[in-house]
Amino acid sequence: MSADFRTCPTTGLKVHAQADRLIKANAVVGVVALLIGGIAALLLLLTRWQVVHLLPADWFYRLLTVHGMNMLIFFILFFEMAILYFASAVLLNSRVAAPRLAWFSFWLMVAGALVVEWTMFTGRADVLFTSYVPLRATPWFYLGVILFAVGALLVVAIFFATLIVAKKERTYTGSIPLVTFGAATAAIIAVITLGHGAAIYIPTFLWSLGIGNVDAQIYRLVWWGLGHSSQQINVAAMVAVWYLLGALTVGSVVINEKISRIAFTLYVLFISMAAAHHLLVDPGLPPTWKVWNTSYAMYLAVLASMIHGFTVPAGIELGQRLRGYTKGLFEWLRRAPWGDPGFSALIFSIIIFGFVGGITGVTFGTEQINIIAHNTLRVPGHFHATVVAGTTLAFMGLTYYVIPLIFRKKVAFWPLARIQPYLFAAGMLIFSVAMTFAGTFGVPRRHYDISFAQAPFDFQFSPAVDLVMTAMAIGGLLAITGGAIYIAITVWSVFFGKPLEAEVKA
Amino acid sequence: MAKEGLPPGIVNPPRPLPEKAGESPEEHRTPGTLVLVLVFLAAFVVYYFVNWKLLSFVWRVG
Repeated sequence: MSADFRTCPTTGLKVHAQADRLIKANAVVGVVALLIGGIAALLLLLTRWQVVHLLPADWFYRLLTVHGMNMLIFFILFFEMAILYFASAVLLNSRVAAPRLAWFSFWLMVAGALVVEWTMFTGRADVLFTSYVPLRATPWFYLGVILFAVGALLVVAIFFATLIVAKKERTYTGSIPLVTFGAATAAIIAVITLGHGAAIYIPTFLWSLGIGNVDAQIYRLVWWGLGHSSQQINVAAMVAVWYLLGALTVGSVVINEKISRIAFTLYVLFISMAAAHHLLVDPGLPPTWKVWNTSYAMYLAVLASMIHGFTVPAGIELGQRLRGYTKGLFEWLRRAPWGDPGFSALIFSIIIFGFVGGITGVTFGTEQINIIAHNTLRVPGHFHATVVAGTTLAFMGLTYYVIPLIFRKKVAFWPLARIQPYLFAAGMLIFSVAMTFAGTFGVPRRHYDISFAQAPFDFQFSPAVDLVMTAMAIGGLLAITGGAIYIAITVWSVFFGKPLEAEVKA
Repeated sequence: MAKEGLPPGIVNPPRPLPEKAGESPEEHRTPGTLVLVLVFLAAFVVYYFVNWKLLSFVWRVG
């Protein structure tokens, strides 16, 4: 049995060979999805920037579908599957439960993703990420999503089975580590999310075949249990990565383990309610439902984020102070390893997620205010700050540790790696804030042409909109450059990088 | 000094905490984070208020 494990010379963790391979496979496919979604992002950006207005209308909406599915579903979920294997098998020194099923799940997810990609690129599913009924895609699109979701659900089951195996085989002592606990909450939210996905995509798949009917309001209600909750998996996984990166980069301490675990539990109980903010202007739902979900229950999930938003930096500060950086208020921050892309990505992820994504998100959750923000660019401004600048940046930072620790390779183009989080974070900050401003002026989201060139009526936005849209384009181009550098570093390191063993022998 | 291609957290992992570090409650103070949290709170209040103000422009009562 010991032949199936290697011991990491840096962390001392026992790494199961299957876990090692599964993490690599999921991470590589995740980065490929990021590349596809990133290329689509560039083309979309150059279309929404009215000065360039690159794509024709049909390709704009097609690539918007491609961008949403690849970034919000495929990239994120493949990467999170890698995190689940890391947080269970690797952190607990355990073997992966049911490795054959794990590989079957992986290939099922890949097959589902490929089917969806094919339907989108061939124009058979121009229905955007939300695929709102009565927009109808080919049945293959829904089938692809269902295959992908079943695969992901199986990985979540394997994650829980691995926790049980580790407990039974006593591969660790005491409670499971906080990072594993955070990943477990992400996995529980994934079950809730994928359950909603099954509940809505199976009837929609049948409807696309001409069997039965799907009510548009019911579709929106259940679909957002998938669409928004899938981003809550990201939040829980991202916070787990924050704790991990804090420990790896500066030896941060956990201020109060119990409080952090309670905060993760609040996510499980209340974060799904945040999906309701997409439905606040829908006529089919009563005000009591809207008010309960967004004005009461959701704030308990916000409380959880605020707890983590305090405990993670406080843990970094305390760790630094206990190591002697005690001068003034911020010596601990000044003397932090800013040249470590893992650390800079962590800090920028916390700041942009909290200050831009968090604050704007809570604002949308207020029923009255939602009416001036709904379906404007403020909404993508919010979720680019949370999912892209928050989650993706945290995952990018983690990658710089995964490459040497799991892939056993040196990080290629190291000077570029050091500045990559700065470029990406600065770009995303400008992009998200500019989007938010544009939305405040009423600029609609998901819109091919805001000059309304062929519309029967005339409408002019404030001249300030041109300025903020240009800022959005500049920020987006900067972020895409940062993203491209990340992909180049990752692909080169993994496939052509210098092996670490060779370096050690040398 | 960081080694080319390896994050500092791997080449020079954070020093282990000194023995008995953090035992006294006095050592558990994190004033820098507190200041950052207050800045966050101020930003939150300002943004939230501005949104209600904007709402009042488009949704006049009376």
